[in-house]
Amino acid sequence: MGNHVMTETEQPSAPAIELEALCHSYGDTEVLRHIDLRIEHGEIFGFLGHNGAGKTTAVNILTTLIAPTAGTAKVCGFDVAAQRHEVTSRIGYLPADVRMYPHLTARENVEFFAKLSGVKKPSTAVDETFEYLSCSDLADKRVGSFSTGMRQRVGIAQAIVHRPQVLFLDEPTSGLDPVGVRQLRETIIRLNADLGMTVFMNTHLLSEVAKVCTTIGVLDHGELIYKDTIAATTERFPDETSLEDIYVRMERSAS
Amino acid sequence: MSESTARVKALAAHEYRAAVRSKILLVLLGILVTITVVSVYVAAVDHRSKVADYAAYRAAAQASGLARIAPSTLAPLSLLRGALEYLEIIGAVVAITLGYLTVSRERANRTLTLIRSRPVTAGELASGSLLGAVGLFTTLVAATTIVGVVCVGLIGNDWINAAQGFKLLLAAIAAIIYLGAFYCVGAIATANTRVAANGLMIALGIWLLVVLILPQLGDTLDADNQIPGGLFKALTLDRAGETEILKHFSTYETTRISIEEASFAKHYERFAFAMTEVQDKYRGFSLGRLLGAKRNDIGWMIFYSFALVFGLRWSFRRQPTIPQETT
Repeated sequence: MGNHVMTETEQPSAPAIELEALCHSYGDTEVLRHIDLRIEHGEIFGFLGHNGAGKTTAVNILTTLIAPTAGTAKVCGFDVAAQRHEVTSRIGYLPADVRMYPHLTARENVEFFAKLSGVKKPSTAVDETFEYLSCSDLADKRVGSFSTGMRQRVGIAQAIVHRPQVLFLDEPTSGLDPVGVRQLRETIIRLNADLGMTVFMNTHLLSEVAKVCTTIGVLDHGELIYKDTIAATTERFPDETSLEDIYVRMERSAS
Repeated sequence: MSESTARVKALAAHEYRAAVRSKILLVLLGILVTITVVSVYVAAVDHRSKVADYAAYRAAAQASGLARIAPSTLAPLSLLRGALEYLEIIGAVVAITLGYLTVSRERANRTLTLIRSRPVTAGELASGSLLGAVGLFTTLVAATTIVGVVCVGLIGNDWINAAQGFKLLLAAIAAIIYLGAFYCVGAIATANTRVAANGLMIALGIWLLVVLILPQLGDTLDADNQIPGGLFKALTLDRAGETEILKHFSTYETTRISIEEASFAKHYERFAFAMTEVQDKYRGFSLGRLLGAKRNDIGWMIFYSFALVFGLRWSFRRQPTIPQETT
């Protein structure tokens, strides 16, 4: 699977993601409060937090969809507010509840986004991506007739067709059946291992985080209350049997 | 091809493809093309007998040795009047609907988020969408123009010449610009409202005002239109006399003209009617003279078009990329 946009020699010394005193408010409501976070290249980062904690807002800022109210956010060393083009050239994004264009086939959908990302040979890139994701059978079918799981695979395809350095996934397992969840988990691990993609994943499924992620961060009411590797986390909380127990304990401590 | 040009091209092709796969749009286009062709066909049938009458007169005049044979006053392009009017009224609705669909589709599919997470600027998005729409309008106008010309030639038995063909080409370009402007109205109104359907309603309100109310107001207030056949003609006044009288109603006339000038549709109609010789007074004008006479309308059309394209870019820049409303 070739690299279509970014050159393989490009190895920025800056971290994949860097947040400094990041704040965001919707009117008077503070959603993110002075978040400092650093994620290195090659990590699979699980961003945990209850509904309304501010996870999606953080992803929206990192994908340049909204501007931070205060502080800075950088992706691959580029500021999301001031260097939008540089950032969007290096990221892939799968939002929660992705829908795509129902009247187009999976191939047409992904090819459109490949062209927008500046992929030189979009048709070849699309074929390779579908093959990589083992979903070539979906390529010429209209997305409107797809199940949630099928749509999610096309969503992943559009997010990686241009071989981004950093992949953002917002609640990627929502609506998926157990088989779909397992497939997605395997895909994320392969993307990270084969292509060296840094993955930033918002999720509720702690069991998945434990199986996939190398690092976790916990967001509570807009504040980052914890960040460490999975290994360090389990060492730090030896009395807890699962990540879920650890998460509950952290939330209780924070409140 | 630069990366930006490639992205605009991809967006334009995407817009065109989405438009031709939209059932509601295809129904509207079908209605427009059908009534346009029917109107030209009916006019051409009527025209055919006039062409035959003139040919008979000419043959009789030649046979009787008449020294001077009156030239034909028939204007084959004027048979397209119905087509122009339908394009002006229904075409604008089609264009507004397409503009509305462009914005509402991206919101409903939540694909605007995906597009804006790519290295795509709001300006590229606006340019690509507009170019795709213009591509559709070009197909529409070209198809109706070709069918119209063939109808006039085959059924009306009066083929247009090269000079008339060039004037028709200019009228067709004006039609594409006109439809593009209403596309912008639909897209701007929808992009600036949280509920897309409200944007469509606002755009249709603007259509009602600009296409139907303002031109009608201007016509109704025109002193010369107060009695059938023309007030000044009835008073046996020439142009100088008419101007002299209107001097005494300068405020009234300025207001009336301003109302007309405010309508993009009126400028398009004046230009298209002049180019297609629907208005008698422009028949036989050279192209240069015609363009000189219509420079005011050309200027206003250019002004409105630029303003709307600027408005489209501005609206696409400020519309929320995170979906807030999906219908």
